[in-house]
Amino acid sequence: MARVGVFTCWCGENIARTVDVERVTEDVSRLPGVRCSVHYKYMCSDPGQALVRERIAADRLDRVVVASCSPHMHLKTFRRAVASAGLNPFLLEMANVREHCSWVHHNKEQATRKAVDLIRMSVERVKHNRPLDPIRVPVTRRALVIGGGVAGIQAALDIADAGYEVALVEREPSIGGKMAGLSETFPTLDCSQCILTPRMVEAGQHPRIKLYTYSEVEEVTGYVGNFEVTIRQKARYVDVEKCSGCGDCWNVCPLKKNPSEFDFGMGFRRSIYIPFPQAVPARPVIDKKTCAKLIRNGCGLCEKKCTRGAINFKDEDRLVKEEVGVVVVATGYRLYSIGKQQENGKLSGYGEYGYGQYKDVIDSLQFERLVSASGPTSGALKRPSDGKEPKTVVFISCVGSRDNAKGIPYCSKICCMYTAKHAMLYRHKVHDGEAHVFYMDIRAGGKGYEEFVRRAIEQDGAHYHRGRVSKITEENGKLVVRGADTLAGVPLTIEADLVVLAAAMRPAAGVETLAQKLNVGYDEFGWLLESHPKLRPVETNAAGVFICGACHAPKDIPESVAQASAAAGKVAVLFANEELSRDPEVARINEQTCAACYACRRACPYHAIEAAEVRSPKGAFVKNTARVNPGLCMGCGTCVAVCPSKSADLDGFSEQQVYAMVEALA
Amino acid sequence: MSETNGFEPKIVAYVCNWCTYLGADLAGTNRLEYPPNVRLIRLPCTGRIDFNLIVKAFEMSADAVLVSGCHPGDCHYTAGNYHARRRWMLFRPLLEALGFDLRRIHFTWISAAEGRKFQQVIAEITESARKLGPYRPYEANGESKWRPAGLPPPKRRSGDDASLRTTARELLAEGKAGVVIGRGERGPVLARKPEDADRLTWNGASKIALTAYLKRKEVRALGKPAIVAGPADLRALNVLEQESQIRREDIHVIAAEGPGAAPPDFSDLDALLQLEPGERMAYWAGEFDRCVKCYACRQACPLCYCERCIVDKNRPQAIDTSAHARGNFAWHITRAFHLAGRCVGCGACTRACPAGIDLRLLNQAAARAAERQFGYRAGADPKAEPLVGVYSLTDKEEFIG
Repeated sequence: MARVGVFTCWCGENIARTVDVERVTEDVSRLPGVRCSVHYKYMCSDPGQALVRERIAADRLDRVVVASCSPHMHLKTFRRAVASAGLNPFLLEMANVREHCSWVHHNKEQATRKAVDLIRMSVERVKHNRPLDPIRVPVTRRALVIGGGVAGIQAALDIADAGYEVALVEREPSIGGKMAGLSETFPTLDCSQCILTPRMVEAGQHPRIKLYTYSEVEEVTGYVGNFEVTIRQKARYVDVEKCSGCGDCWNVCPLKKNPSEFDFGMGFRRSIYIPFPQAVPARPVIDKKTCAKLIRNGCGLCEKKCTRGAINFKDEDRLVKEEVGVVVVATGYRLYSIGKQQENGKLSGYGEYGYGQYKDVIDSLQFERLVSASGPTSGALKRPSDGKEPKTVVFISCVGSRDNAKGIPYCSKICCMYTAKHAMLYRHKVHDGEAHVFYMDIRAGGKGYEEFVRRAIEQDGAHYHRGRVSKITEENGKLVVRGADTLAGVPLTIEADLVVLAAAMRPAAGVETLAQKLNVGYDEFGWLLESHPKLRPVETNAAGVFICGACHAPKDIPESVAQASAAAGKVAVLFANEELSRDPEVARINEQTCAACYACRRACPYHAIEAAEVRSPKGAFVKNTARVNPGLCMGCGTCVAVCPSKSADLDGFSEQQVYAMVEALA
Repeated sequence: MSETNGFEPKIVAYVCNWCTYLGADLAGTNRLEYPPNVRLIRLPCTGRIDFNLIVKAFEMSADAVLVSGCHPGDCHYTAGNYHARRRWMLFRPLLEALGFDLRRIHFTWISAAEGRKFQQVIAEITESARKLGPYRPYEANGESKWRPAGLPPPKRRSGDDASLRTTARELLAEGKAGVVIGRGERGPVLARKPEDADRLTWNGASKIALTAYLKRKEVRALGKPAIVAGPADLRALNVLEQESQIRREDIHVIAAEGPGAAPPDFSDLDALLQLEPGERMAYWAGEFDRCVKCYACRQACPLCYCERCIVDKNRPQAIDTSAHARGNFAWHITRAFHLAGRCVGCGACTRACPAGIDLRLLNQAAARAAERQFGYRAGADPKAEPLVGVYSLTDKEEFIG
């Protein structure tokens, strides 16, 4: 027979005002199994906790019910208290007689009776509690960072600097991400490459960072502390070890007119190429879609030219396995494709802006390349159609963003700032040019941000028009931008030489597939979901998987970097111990009675249930069964509900515990 | 008060730990008063909340039950509430067929921020339960004169018995099968020797679904089975394959020629649903009164293959084992719900029942819900994703407040 102690709290007047605590204590003391029923003014106070400990010893209690506030408030407190008295902390239950009783009822008689009911339910429940020990999981103290943009680089460097090894996977041939292609950055106008490339080099040379460029995550198995990741290293056709990055190969490649991905089609690259001069690693790849040797066994000049024998046309994709303890996702963003029907059918484009139709209507990342000193024009502002310097430029913000009709209700957050920057950079380069900005609102929250926008308007003379652009047409070599200035209340037509569209941000292509591999949630737009928007902003619901940067939501560089460091900090916390201690309230399967229908495995949101075999001590096959991996189980109990034979059960919320509560109501 | 004669209902609320429980906490923090009739039972997730718990609450004198969790998209465990929603979509039609007053069961999504919604929901449920009056257990529902037309007579198969016997004989003689499971004139035949094959016939009798033999250990021990399968048996094999109970290559199927499965005949169910809910309940009370809990329905069913049935689990005792109304109702609800989205409509349960209870009607309630809501017919495709244990973001939830 269980020896239950019930400790009823007054919470000062909070409970005692509407619940007759003394009568509750008296009534509860008569419940079967209750060996001690006491009350105290503040049970959570030190003397209150001491009372619990004393009575555990004095009455040899083996179960404790604390009737006080919500378990969300003090469950941990009282678990510690009973643990310090030598009792397993999971032999404690709380009855919530404050939030769910005294605070919401006024009739003292009714509230008192309800409090007794609630306590009786908890007393019956606690009799079925089992002692549970934290699940200990060994930790592989090695991290995988997916995405080599500024967030991924920052996270990798921080984790590596904390003393742990990092595998950094980037699907492009070089790390650097979007930031490597930016011109200058708001609000300080420091050159993007000047601040990023040293970090890239540092990441490339760090003794504890292993770069996997031109690689993608193929498969992830395992669980927090013990992931096994399969990385697909795409065929590069260049032996990275032999290559010195001298450039002989790409200088002889005759195929010069491939649109450069890094320049967003504003410039060209060869078929063997490094995406940009500061690439890390500074090793070329061969584009198998355009290389004449790979397509039709022609050319082969690069191979002949390479003195180190680094070209290998027989190269194939390789699968590499990495064992890691955590995964940091930093896959970043892409721009919404303005002109086209969008691939998922949920979004629609802006045909009326003529993007893709008029050469001089470009998006903001293309403009970044156009004004970048390392860009295809070496920073000279030449418009794509005829290479002339545009004298009037129209910038349109919120192209896609905040437009329910296009399927993107959210704000892309950074466009107001970079549009101001674009106007500013343009005016710095073309002193006699005119910069017009169409905007819906200016959202310039951030350190120095509002001042920056004011500067664009007041010092650099950008013309800001609050209003939308309805149509862009090409007439006589000019782009005629028809819009409205809603503050002036007039329609506005501007004849522009160049139009820059601040397209909405979207998560990087393929992020949903990756999220599914990692069991990370994502919203309808594909942004990855944090575990809690306020309190756990870089953690995900998949234990051991963290997110940072623009894979989570539109954000700028400072925020991405801050989040990356936060994720690295979380990783360091996890790596501070050799073992992880996990909440033991997880599911288990009675393998004797499991019929192996695997309904639980289908239902488990964490893929924590696997098919297994029961074998005799001699190793003979006995039967199939489902089995829970406690390292993955998060304790939702969905498996219990779908199990027809109730062979699945959930510690902490077991069938016996829950039925005992229901039966206590009879 | 005059309306309710001072009756105070007892309400059990199964709530998830992360949204509704915290919503109730918030109602407390904000001192939002509501009637004291509700008793909350905290569970990690609505995904954990089983229909057995609802049944149990009513048995334990609850007058209304609330199940509440996180709004779609907010589940702490990403998808538990979606799984719950899918199950309730199939559970409610079953209760409806039983004549259960669905106004006593409430489903809501209440977030941790919705203290006020929690207050309102509890107030509304309490008020509605007061008006409904005390929950009457199943047995106290009077009598019904309604009777279903019953199972249609078995269709005669056009197959040729001689070739069936030849096939079976060859299989056994060549050792390709250890046993041929089929129908004989007087009941099922498990032919183990070539000469036994002569007892097989296409139009024989079996109260038990032949595929039910596949789950038996003693039959499995006989070696590779061959089964003489009609359309319902073929569908049962498909479900068993979906649920990893068999591998098709391990079983030799001797399939009947001729038309496949006829579309299910729901005419009795339609007639049942024409009755007033109270009379429906009275009908079932009268039927279940005869149930002696022999579990023939379970044994005859091709899809009741658990190694230990939930009714045989006694810690806790989810279902009262006594052959009285309470336990009988719980058992038959459980049996039918466990077949939701799985029952192939073979009618073996009805045939096997010695008390003559037309149990297939309950299975049909869930089967039709599966068809109407999901366009799903059990056993149509062995590769199809089963209906329970999965969910869709577009599952309908008009019944969830």
